[in-house]
Amino acid sequence: MTAVKNIWGNFKRYWFLTTQLISRDFKVKYKRSVLGILWSLLNPILTMAVMAVVFSQMFKFKVEGVNYIVYLMTGIIMFNYFSQASNMAMTSVVENFPLINKVYIPKYIFPVAKCLFVGIDFLLTLIPWLIIIALSYVGLGDYPCHFNWYYLLLPYIFFCMFLFTLGMGFLLSCISVFLRDIWHIYGIVLTLWNYLTPVFYSIEILPVKLQMLMHFNPLYQFLNAARSIVVYEQMPSFATLGILGLIGVGMLAIGAFVFKKKQDKFIYYV
Amino acid sequence: MIKIDNVSMKFNLAIEKDFSLKQAFVNIFTQKKKKKNDDFWALKNVSFTVDKGEVVGLIGSNGAGKSTLLKVVSGVMKPTSGKVTVDGVISPMIELGAGFDGNLTARENIYLNGAILGYSKKFLNEKFDEIVEFSELKDFLDVPVKNFSSGMTAKLAFSIATIVNPEILIVDEILSVGDIKFQEKSKHKMMEMIEGGTTVLYVSHSLQSIKDLCTKVVWLEHGKVVKIGDTNKICDEYYKKQMQ
Repeated sequence: MTAVKNIWGNFKRYWFLTTQLISRDFKVKYKRSVLGILWSLLNPILTMAVMAVVFSQMFKFKVEGVNYIVYLMTGIIMFNYFSQASNMAMTSVVENFPLINKVYIPKYIFPVAKCLFVGIDFLLTLIPWLIIIALSYVGLGDYPCHFNWYYLLLPYIFFCMFLFTLGMGFLLSCISVFLRDIWHIYGIVLTLWNYLTPVFYSIEILPVKLQMLMHFNPLYQFLNAARSIVVYEQMPSFATLGILGLIGVGMLAIGAFVFKKKQDKFIYYV
Repeated sequence: MIKIDNVSMKFNLAIEKDFSLKQAFVNIFTQKKKKKNDDFWALKNVSFTVDKGEVVGLIGSNGAGKSTLLKVVSGVMKPTSGKVTVDGVISPMIELGAGFDGNLTARENIYLNGAILGYSKKFLNEKFDEIVEFSELKDFLDVPVKNFSSGMTAKLAFSIATIVNPEILIVDEILSVGDIKFQEKSKHKMMEMIEGGTTVLYVSHSLQSIKDLCTKVVWLEHGKVVKIGDTNKICDEYYKKQMQ
């Protein structure tokens, strides 16, 4: 109990710094751009438009019986959150070496700040995403997607995904201190992971054996749960929700454990 | 109060050499002998205490371990062995402007840097004008710091770092920032803090400023304490040794 209290106290103490780091990221990102923060909205809209045209018009992808555009968008925004946040968290500790070398700051702040920073971007992308769902009522895509009460479960699903991403961020940022090669390796891993996750296809097109294996892909679990609510308008089973929580907390525990164990060594690798 | 008890700090110079997957791969095939001389002791069995209100100067040649010692005390590094006990809130001024983001304006950097030094938002809001006043940079508040001269950057950083009245102040060679007027001002500010009962650990190569400020001196050489004691006596001895 005291351990939890300590962590919480520490977190509160450095919360202001965390917000400052996040706001720095935003300021630097939108410096000298005319549209500024609007890009956080525009960028996903345009990306989604391109993807929608490419997959639904050019490649004629579709998933039987559902609105493919909403299906695709849900997959893209969730996968993008994971890939961007974990990638930025990975480099965050090394990028802040000059700081770590001079002032005492708990190092876990850097991956946390990055995951939250991308998280705010993610929340902004939910706006165009909701608009697209609303537009499905008036004929965007083949089928309408109805808003329903299960949407209240989405924050939980997103939160579990956040925990999972943070755990990955801890692990990757820790590894990258000792082995910078991970930056290149993880880039490839992400590309592969993108294709191995049914972002733009449905797992039904895969052989049965692969479908079974897919259940071990955490991102599939997150995507699947969100889609069952949004696209299929069904509540995910309690077992599924429990598994999501386990994946999130489990990954965070692994990442945090490794990070905590190794963080005192970081300074030698500055 | 700061208690430094038998502190040693070891660096492994081999870490500095390029390490990559390729290197790891090569290492599998080549018998790697761990060389003894890869170990470098930046500090070896250093012990002394700084009592509350004392101003202790650290002197020694370049590479004697002064900055490492400051980093160990401020918690940036954990000592390889030994123990550092610090009683009170530390304000580290090891390198001014650590954490300035060149792309951000002076105004934004005051908040960012303040947060890095552990100040609260409320505190910064209250003290904002005072910081700006002391830094003499009122007209440049909305200029990105990357366009500042090094003197201006240092002035801003010093103003942010000294806005608190810390219980323990760790200072690494910073009184020589800015123009003469600002140097005097910053020295005055330091004096003020010392008179207010702040414990200070001070590193400088300027023996004059050490003599002006310190009540006690620790002379480090090759990571070991050579002498501890009276400021004037040890400074003179050190000077003689250096000039030989």
